[in-house]
Amino acid sequence: MTPVPTAIHHATPLRERLSRLLLPSFTGLLLLFLFAPIGVMIAFSFNNPLGRQNITWQGFTLGNYVSLWGRSDITDPMIVSLGIAAISTVVATIFGTMIALALTRYRFAGTAVVNLLIFIPMTAPEIILGASLLTLWVSMGVERGFLTILVAHVMFNISFVVVTVRARLVGFNRSLEEAGMDLYADGRTVFWKVTLPLIFPGILSAALLAFALSIDDYVITLFSAGRTLTFPLWVFGVSRLGIPPEVNVLGTLIFVVAIVGIGFQIWGQRRGGRSTDGAEPITMVVR
Amino acid sequence: MTDERQDQTEVERAISRFFAEEPQSRRAFLRRTGRGGVYVLGALSLPAILAACAPGSPGASAAAAKLRWLNWPAYIDIDEAMTPNPTKYPSINAFIQQTGISVEYNEGLLDNAEFLAQYTPDLRAGNSTGWDVMSPGGWVVERMARLGFLQELDHSQLPNWTANCADYAKGIWFDPDNKYSVWWQGGITGIGYSPELTGREITSFEDLLDPAFAGRVGGFSDMRDMFGLTLLSLGVHPADATVADVQRAQQKLLSVPKDHFRGFYGNEYYDALAAGDLAISVAWSGDVSQMALYDRPTVKFVVPQEGGMRWNDNLVIPKGTTNTVNAHKLLNYWYDPAAATTLSEYIGYFTPVKGVDDRIRADAATARAGGDTATADTYDVLAPTVVPTADQLTNIFPDKQLSEAEEAQWNSLFETVLGA
Amino acid sequence: MRSLRRGLTPLLLLLPGGSWLIAFFAVPMAFMLLLSLQQGTFDTGYHLTWNFGIYPQVIGKYWALFLRSASFALMATALTLAIGYPVAYTIAFHGGRLKNALLLVVVLPFFVSFVIRTLNWRMILADNGMLFGFLKSVGILRPDFHFLATPASVVFGLTYNFLPFMILPLYVAIEKIDRRLIEAATDLYASRAQAFWRVTFVLSLPGVVAGSLLTFIPTVGDFITAEVIGAGNPEVFMVGNIIQRKFLDSLDYPAAAALSFVLVAAVMVLVIVYTRLIGSDRLSG
Repeated sequence: MTPVPTAIHHATPLRERLSRLLLPSFTGLLLLFLFAPIGVMIAFSFNNPLGRQNITWQGFTLGNYVSLWGRSDITDPMIVSLGIAAISTVVATIFGTMIALALTRYRFAGTAVVNLLIFIPMTAPEIILGASLLTLWVSMGVERGFLTILVAHVMFNISFVVVTVRARLVGFNRSLEEAGMDLYADGRTVFWKVTLPLIFPGILSAALLAFALSIDDYVITLFSAGRTLTFPLWVFGVSRLGIPPEVNVLGTLIFVVAIVGIGFQIWGQRRGGRSTDGAEPITMVVR
Repeated sequence: MTDERQDQTEVERAISRFFAEEPQSRRAFLRRTGRGGVYVLGALSLPAILAACAPGSPGASAAAAKLRWLNWPAYIDIDEAMTPNPTKYPSINAFIQQTGISVEYNEGLLDNAEFLAQYTPDLRAGNSTGWDVMSPGGWVVERMARLGFLQELDHSQLPNWTANCADYAKGIWFDPDNKYSVWWQGGITGIGYSPELTGREITSFEDLLDPAFAGRVGGFSDMRDMFGLTLLSLGVHPADATVADVQRAQQKLLSVPKDHFRGFYGNEYYDALAAGDLAISVAWSGDVSQMALYDRPTVKFVVPQEGGMRWNDNLVIPKGTTNTVNAHKLLNYWYDPAAATTLSEYIGYFTPVKGVDDRIRADAATARAGGDTATADTYDVLAPTVVPTADQLTNIFPDKQLSEAEEAQWNSLFETVLGA
Repeated sequence: MRSLRRGLTPLLLLLPGGSWLIAFFAVPMAFMLLLSLQQGTFDTGYHLTWNFGIYPQVIGKYWALFLRSASFALMATALTLAIGYPVAYTIAFHGGRLKNALLLVVVLPFFVSFVIRTLNWRMILADNGMLFGFLKSVGILRPDFHFLATPASVVFGLTYNFLPFMILPLYVAIEKIDRRLIEAATDLYASRAQAFWRVTFVLSLPGVVAGSLLTFIPTVGDFITAEVIGAGNPEVFMVGNIIQRKFLDSLDYPAAAALSFVLVAAVMVLVIVYTRLIGSDRLSG
């Protein structure tokens, strides 16, 4: 490549310095915005409210961090919610990824129908989805509980997974796979060793979305829960008369655990990953 | 030729570089797919699992001796410091001790309308709802009774009720002979306000429509409460209101500018009133006492001079349960003055049991004698509020028993008020 | 043999998820569709009378709510795009090894329950709360200013709660863009702005489309934000709210079902128009 004088299309240093600051400062502001309610939640986990409502500051205490462990009425629903979210995320991510692959890579009659089947669950109001499922359960004589909640969550998560993974599959360059085919000469191995790792960010993102959706779901869960209490069901109910500060503690702990987990992952990467400074990610190699 | 081979090795290199770079994610991913395989298999056997969970399977009947009660949240005395022995609710523990019946207590009743939507399919199909006792509101009891969803009570098994139930707590419009229900707890829907924000005392429904408070007035999204209070301000008893009356009520609520009512709230009015975002709002009596104690000392509750709405929740036994004898024991238990007092000292709504206020005063005196002035003071303040005063009783009114056509019309009229 | 396998593969891929959706979504919804054509009452039961007239009825009565919901959803989608794109871009291009971690950090607030997030926002945004109380005391805002219980607050609430639905798909698409294409553009004398709009943004369009769909579609039918942040103010009453009321409070199941299907149809029309405009090749490989 012939060298090109680069000074021609660079902005003046000051402008460039400012514009370089723009993105990080915007992101910083945004993080502030994202975490504002979390900050308040953490702050009020140390509140010592006299009444049932935890909305006015009434005194600092660490007691909530102790009393939480006696509150099985708070921790039990949370465990149920986490369990349902974990399982439904895995199932929905698998099913949804398969559908996304089918839709983007194969031409077959009925893509329109499949697309409808994917999009309409997202458009339908949750109360109708929930109530119609309830009618199904009752007519089938199925007792509502953990399993029925799980089935419902997988159902509404599939669509979101499909749309997210599809965003990754679109414009996917096949030459890598073709190279893989030449190397491995076996479609299945190519899939596991080449395709899947390449679309992994899409799958991970879809899984994160599905998890967030599942752990927060109220309306559909309400109709499929029977006697099982999930965390949103419990919290919606209790918010009527005052959310105890122990709930803030639980939220804070989940938050802290996740941050610590991320920290470990970063630390683990730093330690374990062979140094690949200067190497380009695989996506850059063949396009 | 050499280029091709070079390309291949570049690809190989790139692939191995990729896996070198992200060892953790690959492992995590393979772990996940491994798990995924297990769950796919599980899902395929789902119908079998679901069938096994259907009612009528042997597992269900073994639990029959345990009494299952579905109630609203924060509607029972709870000792959070207590480790479950066998529960954390002192009065339920007392019941368990007295009768030897174990109790499964659940606070999953979150909203009357939702409750109805959740359980109607089962009740219509004649299935068990999974509960032996439930605590719905008045109009829900009326509907459930009418549709044949409730078991008739055997009052010979409820001697405490017969002996101790106050007059104001029986024979209400939705179940005039108490065939299906007994009063659980009750209260008044009136007006809550902060005098320093309104600038004056509040006495009337008209104060809600005062332009001086525009933008800081709270209404209720409950049709019966909102229309009820409005009808009273028009001089109409809700129990006698015609559709024409309700149309006038609707017009009255629409006569104020669009931003006069800050909102038509469900339970969230509490936060807004306590924060001072609302200067004046439709409110429940129990909430305001709580707010005054803990979150906003200046807030006051008043029954509008035109009249307030009375409400109460009820204990009922749904069809589909065979645990009726134990259920009756529970209902009977709550009409024991000692149990009712323990409950009221904690949750402070209107109790249906005679003499509870005196017992609370007695407990206050005992506490004071023992040197616990804080508890004594709390109980002294609490005692008169757990029973409606004579004044209040003459000025609080029940809902109307609505026919289906009326209900549809009233709801339709209310939708416009809400913004439809 | 190979062509047979090839023909079967899409079917096999579609089978698990597809049959799940058919069993637990399509079948129940078909019953709901039939319910919309029934007449009767909650108490006495419903009978199928093929009452197609209910559709023009509910549309005629509530069309304004559809428009309002669509406009809220549109604004929220635009805002999430404006806010989410820089975030996704920063993580994808400047995230380095921390990419996945940063992604998780961005989504983390949403693992805390919706009720808690909303309650805390209400505390922050109270008329004289942490934010506005301060701004009023230094005279930036009039004393009677309020944010909660307004249409703006509902759009705000929708934007906040649907940010991950925009950020994640955007990230997914941006992350796979070959940076050397952008280098090539700038080498060819394009300004950074031009390089962005003509290369990066265009290549990220599948993510923009996915994110817009995942944000717009659920927000149109949302009801809870109007209730808890909009405080049930008449100006924020949305389609989701009337469907809730019809179903739960009025116990008018046919009307609730009919309104739901009108919503579904309206949104699907918009989705189809949108994806056609963008170009369907953006959606399928």
